[in-house]
Amino acid sequence: MKVPMQWIKEYADIPVSAEEYQSKMIMIGNGVEGYEEQGAEIENVVVGRVVTCEPHPDSDHLHVTTVDVGEEELLNIVCGAPNCEAGILVPVAKIGAKLPGGIKIKKGKLRGVASEGMLCGGDELGVPVELYPHVGEKGLLIFNEEYPLGADVKPILGMDDTVMDFEVLANRPDCLSVWGIARETAVACGTKFTKPEITVQECGGDIHDYVKVDVEATDLCPRYIARVIKDVRVAPSPMWLRKYLNAAGMRSINNVVDITNFIMLETGHPMHAFDLSMVEGNHIIVRKAVEGEHITTLDGKQHDLTAGQLVICDAVKPSCVAGIMGGEESEITEKTTTMMFECAVFDRAATRVTSRALGIRTESSGRFEKGVSVKTAMEAMQRACQMINQLDAGDVVSGIIDIYPEPAQQQVITGSCKRIASRTGVDIPAEDIVRILTDLHFGVERDGDTLTVTVPDYRQDVDGEADLSEEALRVFGYDKIPSTLLRGETTPGGRSARMRLKDEVARYLTGMGFYEIMNFSFVSPKTVMKLDLGEDDYRLNQLPIRNPLGEDTSVMRTTLTPGMLNTLAVNMNHGNEGARLYEVAAIFDAENRTEENLPTEIQKLCLGVYGKEEDFFTLRGVVERLLGYLGIETTVEARGESYLHPGRRAILMAGDERVCCLGEVHPTVREEFDMPSRAYIAELDMEQLARLRKPMGAVKPMPRYPAVTRDLSLVMSEATQVGPLMADMAKAAGAILEDVKMFDIYRSAALGENMKSVAFSFILRGADHTLTEAEVTKAMDKILKVAAESHNATIRA
Amino acid sequence: MKEKIAQIEELLVTELAVCDSLQALDALRVKVLGKKGELTALLRGMGQLSPEERPVAGQMINEAREKFTAMLEEKQALLKAQAQEAALKRETIDVTQPAAMPKAGCVHPMTLVLNEVVDCFTGMGFEVVEGPEVELDHYNFELMNIPKNHPARDAQDTFYVDDNIVLRTHTSPVQARTMLTRKPPIRVICPGRVYRADEMDATHSPVFHQLEGLVIDKDVTMADLRGTLNAFAERLYGKGITTRFRPSFFPFTEPSAEVDLTCVACHGKGCRVCKGTGWIEVLGCGMVNPHVLEMCGIDPKEYSGFAFGIGIERITMQRYGIPDLRLLFEGDVRFLGQFR
Repeated sequence: MKVPMQWIKEYADIPVSAEEYQSKMIMIGNGVEGYEEQGAEIENVVVGRVVTCEPHPDSDHLHVTTVDVGEEELLNIVCGAPNCEAGILVPVAKIGAKLPGGIKIKKGKLRGVASEGMLCGGDELGVPVELYPHVGEKGLLIFNEEYPLGADVKPILGMDDTVMDFEVLANRPDCLSVWGIARETAVACGTKFTKPEITVQECGGDIHDYVKVDVEATDLCPRYIARVIKDVRVAPSPMWLRKYLNAAGMRSINNVVDITNFIMLETGHPMHAFDLSMVEGNHIIVRKAVEGEHITTLDGKQHDLTAGQLVICDAVKPSCVAGIMGGEESEITEKTTTMMFECAVFDRAATRVTSRALGIRTESSGRFEKGVSVKTAMEAMQRACQMINQLDAGDVVSGIIDIYPEPAQQQVITGSCKRIASRTGVDIPAEDIVRILTDLHFGVERDGDTLTVTVPDYRQDVDGEADLSEEALRVFGYDKIPSTLLRGETTPGGRSARMRLKDEVARYLTGMGFYEIMNFSFVSPKTVMKLDLGEDDYRLNQLPIRNPLGEDTSVMRTTLTPGMLNTLAVNMNHGNEGARLYEVAAIFDAENRTEENLPTEIQKLCLGVYGKEEDFFTLRGVVERLLGYLGIETTVEARGESYLHPGRRAILMAGDERVCCLGEVHPTVREEFDMPSRAYIAELDMEQLARLRKPMGAVKPMPRYPAVTRDLSLVMSEATQVGPLMADMAKAAGAILEDVKMFDIYRSAALGENMKSVAFSFILRGADHTLTEAEVTKAMDKILKVAAESHNATIRA
Repeated sequence: MKEKIAQIEELLVTELAVCDSLQALDALRVKVLGKKGELTALLRGMGQLSPEERPVAGQMINEAREKFTAMLEEKQALLKAQAQEAALKRETIDVTQPAAMPKAGCVHPMTLVLNEVVDCFTGMGFEVVEGPEVELDHYNFELMNIPKNHPARDAQDTFYVDDNIVLRTHTSPVQARTMLTRKPPIRVICPGRVYRADEMDATHSPVFHQLEGLVIDKDVTMADLRGTLNAFAERLYGKGITTRFRPSFFPFTEPSAEVDLTCVACHGKGCRVCKGTGWIEVLGCGMVNPHVLEMCGIDPKEYSGFAFGIGIERITMQRYGIPDLRLLFEGDVRFLGQFR
């Protein structure tokens, strides 16, 4: 909320600089975004009178003038404004003057005629139309009153104040008002808050002869106050009012409308003025709209109302959306003669819902949403009528309509001084608590340690002892909070099992050259389509977000793979030679709900690699080593997900359980994801890993007998899978086989088409004796036999 | 005999002088000391000597053998050293040429920061607890003292799945779940992903990471909160970094505070990073609102507690001078490869 300091100073003195004031306010809990010194960019612009004004000899639109700025000599100034004429009083930028936008006025020549300055228009000085009449007109700003020649124009144009920009906290709607801020100011600066004395001069008559008010929806309108003004004299507002409104960021309209805005800014109570001649039946009804009703609001837009939205109606139709915006029809115009002021309180939630539904947010709706005090509404209404008197904008008819069926109770809190202080950790003496609360206008009675505190009407946020702690502490000083370490029973603390597993995986993978990535948890529903999954795949059932930012972030992801493919593509397309990436994050299974009807969240691990050193086997090696590290043994099966190359994909099985599917990305999918190079990808389930992992047991004893190594080259068909062959051979060799490795694959014309020669190395060792030649030969024979019989693999000739 | 030995020695000296390989040296050794060598021949010829001469001659031969052996060994050592020196010279490489680098890898910068923050609090006895990212409105809002139609629940800020399910907007629901299932003393931290309906730009992201902390025990005060956060600040940023508390408002804490840390760039003197204030806004915190305690089944008359929330992105960006949040989510290895 923007407030000029002069306005605050009318109610509480600020004996310090703007800078210091800002920090004092911040330290007692009133956020300040900053402050702006109005007219800071304007220098050396004064009031001057055009004495003579002649056409320029060499131009058809320039004038040559002499200008009196109260100095001995007149200034010769060339001016191009069409409204320039002798006798007018205008702002004059003298040589060396500064104007908004960093413009500096220098001595110059215009078509051969010397010019000693510039006559200014409103736009050149940055004066808004609402602030000074005639500003909007083309050409020079012509003063409409007499001012001393040579006087600084800034105070005249209302540009000499400092405007503070307050960031009002959500629990302090009372500070969305000048009075609220002035009350805080008095506490921050140690000065006194003085509210103006409010008196209203009435002109007689009876309000009931002018208007009838019925509140049908008392649930959404706890209080409705109306007063009538007759013989309305609509006119422009005086300079001081225009200045305040402008500084607060509001446009000046006319004296009556300006009063409603002024009251809203000053007291925090939004008000509305109705032209009574446009109120059918002179009857105001506060009720819920019925389906099919509509209204044209002040901004000229038509809105269809839905049932339940609160409206202020006349006898026939809605004429105002309660607390949000008035209707065009009953708007105050220059023709208005009799009007009704409304100062009411509307329900927070209802205002918010209607404001969202209609897409209208106003200063008024914002205040009602945050909460307007029901108790202080009368004061605001009376202040508005006082302003009518003061500006002579009409005559206030006697009588007030105040529909307030359930007057709010005074909030009283009892508390203990000791507890109020102890919560804060600061030894705030009881006397200080009493003093601070009193300064904040709480009613305080102290009986030993017990405080009975009456909360001021406008403080809706204070309802318990903890609130009193905060009030006491923020004024006593948050900087006085000491620093103590936790006491009491100790707790073991530590990371969760899930986090520890993630750390372990991260340690292993980063050691293998992987970088961790983080992708968004929501994706486009179409992304998963690119994977060409089967029709009933659970990953197609993605949890939708009701109000997404856009289509591309509208469903929760069911797999990490598309995100990984995108990131690989980004790296490829940025020209990076290769990458090893991983992500650990939750996926959301919308099909399987928890007991609370939430989607099941499963932590997944996704790996993706590309680059000239990468292939299917480098990735499978990384995955198998990771699984081995966790104590999970797997076998390989040549099948897998549809988004993988059909000849280069595999599933790793731990017993009957599928642990991982990995492989080369299918060329069609690569195209979909705009990936120019081949890439390899794997996805695993962290929770499954946690379940399957086995802790390391005792170490094996070191071997005591020598090992025998035998190499073997077997020729077989290309179709023969090496994995099962090795498994069978190992099984055939029995317990003395320590290890078998494949070390070469050879193809040649001599071997024949579709044939390969695969070389293996077998390490054999006896646990309790040195193997004899006979034992070794017997094992090798068994190996050869199973290779030949089960896999048609024979020793290379 | 003496002369014969002298002759052999002369021969040995002459040949040693020209001997330039270990093989030649070995041949020389055989020639002089071998079974058929010249000195051995002398020994064999001793039979012809008189019994009186024999011991004298034997001693002379043995002395000569020792002497010749030493001469040969000396030469052998010399030759070995020369050979090694030559080999070393031959094997010299250009040590300045590029090394064979193993692949480098690293966790995400936010994980780096999160790990540090987590370590700091686990060291103080905090336990990590986690909870769902898609969360019930009840835990995310109601129990956090944010009733229906509170401005903070505005559809603009919160992603909804339906009327009862939201993408959590903070990790506070994990605190609520913890309070409902555990008895004080509670000291937990809840790190995790959270969601707000903000368009992505240099400083906003609809997905970001938080770490919230919660302590519930008897007689917990705001001074304990400050002490805990001061310890955190020092651990994360080093000695002399301290906190400044400013009054603030959060629905779930009362009193509430916004916490600034001494600007790490200028140590509080005022600089560009802290916009001249000497302070950097880092987190929000406060004493758990008694209403929240009550709703979560903890008696506010018996227990009090504090809570705080830290934005991991903000600390990461500050620490590494990252100008644009989007870099953290893009996954470009040219960016990720800079972290260690």
